[in-house]
Amino acid sequence: MTPDQGCLRFSQKLGTLIALAIVCAAPLSACVRRPAEPRWAKFGGDPSQGAILVGRFSCGACHQIVGVQGADGKVGPPLSTFADRTMIAGVLPNTPENLVRWLRHPQTVVPGNAMPDVGLSDVQARDIAAYLYRDR
Amino acid sequence: MTWLVGVACSFAAMGAGALVVVEGGLFNATASTPHLRVVAIAAHTAFIRSVEVRARNIEAPTQFTGAEVTAGFRDYDASCVACHGAPGVSNAAWAHAMTPPPPYLEDAARRWRPRELYWIVGQGAKMTAMPAWAEVRSDGEVWNLVAFLEALPYLGEADYARMRAAARTASTPSPEPRAAIGKSGPPPASSP
Repeated sequence: MTPDQGCLRFSQKLGTLIALAIVCAAPLSACVRRPAEPRWAKFGGDPSQGAILVGRFSCGACHQIVGVQGADGKVGPPLSTFADRTMIAGVLPNTPENLVRWLRHPQTVVPGNAMPDVGLSDVQARDIAAYLYRDR
Repeated sequence: MTWLVGVACSFAAMGAGALVVVEGGLFNATASTPHLRVVAIAAHTAFIRSVEVRARNIEAPTQFTGAEVTAGFRDYDASCVACHGAPGVSNAAWAHAMTPPPPYLEDAARRWRPRELYWIVGQGAKMTAMPAWAEVRSDGEVWNLVAFLEALPYLGEADYARMRAAARTASTPSPEPRAAIGKSGPPPASSP
């Protein structure tokens, strides 16, 4: 069947309609809830390195963390979508600086809690914080 | 018959590939880098299934005495804390330099049955630093460690510190007296 003038006009109309639909729908992506920029971008920290450190320091032995193999501990709270939490350990407002402080010295923030001071360096704590704050 | 030849050739190719990976040093055996995700999942699953299957016919005690828990604590504090930490107590710095790293054990009794803990503690884990403690401990001593692991989910940082203090003043030695590792003060008294 050879395309005649009528068929071409229809496919052109259809193409235009689809293009218009895409152009009109594109701004709707701004309606998706998402922070303006990742929190870790403000204070530095490598989330991929943080993922490795979360494995090395055995965080999953006590916490549930989505994306970390075997991380299904129930000693502490689940850490998934950590960026959405208002408080850290019920005492610190959830900011990058407070998270780094908590990760490095939990025994100082809440003396006698089960989470030990494992000797994280500042860089290590930032990397882990960046991983916990990753967009999910 | 050509399908048989095809199958044989596939196996030969897989064998050759494995040889190249092993002999060519392509497998990164360092502890400083993580496993490939698929390898990590396979190894972890294989470990879990190995324990479950082999521990199936072991009869565990239905409960443990306080004395068994205390004896298990003493052994744990002397021999296990360096790798596994304790409530509020970090493991040693070098324990973070392992792949796979030894986990904190507060949840161990919730993840594993007592007979499975007995198997893991007694038989250890290949290609990790977890020894087969049954080779250097009696059967009763291994069960004492299990007794302590069963009590561990109910112990907080203060409880553990209190048990350490009590052990220091006690005269009975632990099986292998050595310096306690962690955030507390002087090592427990060792006796000859």
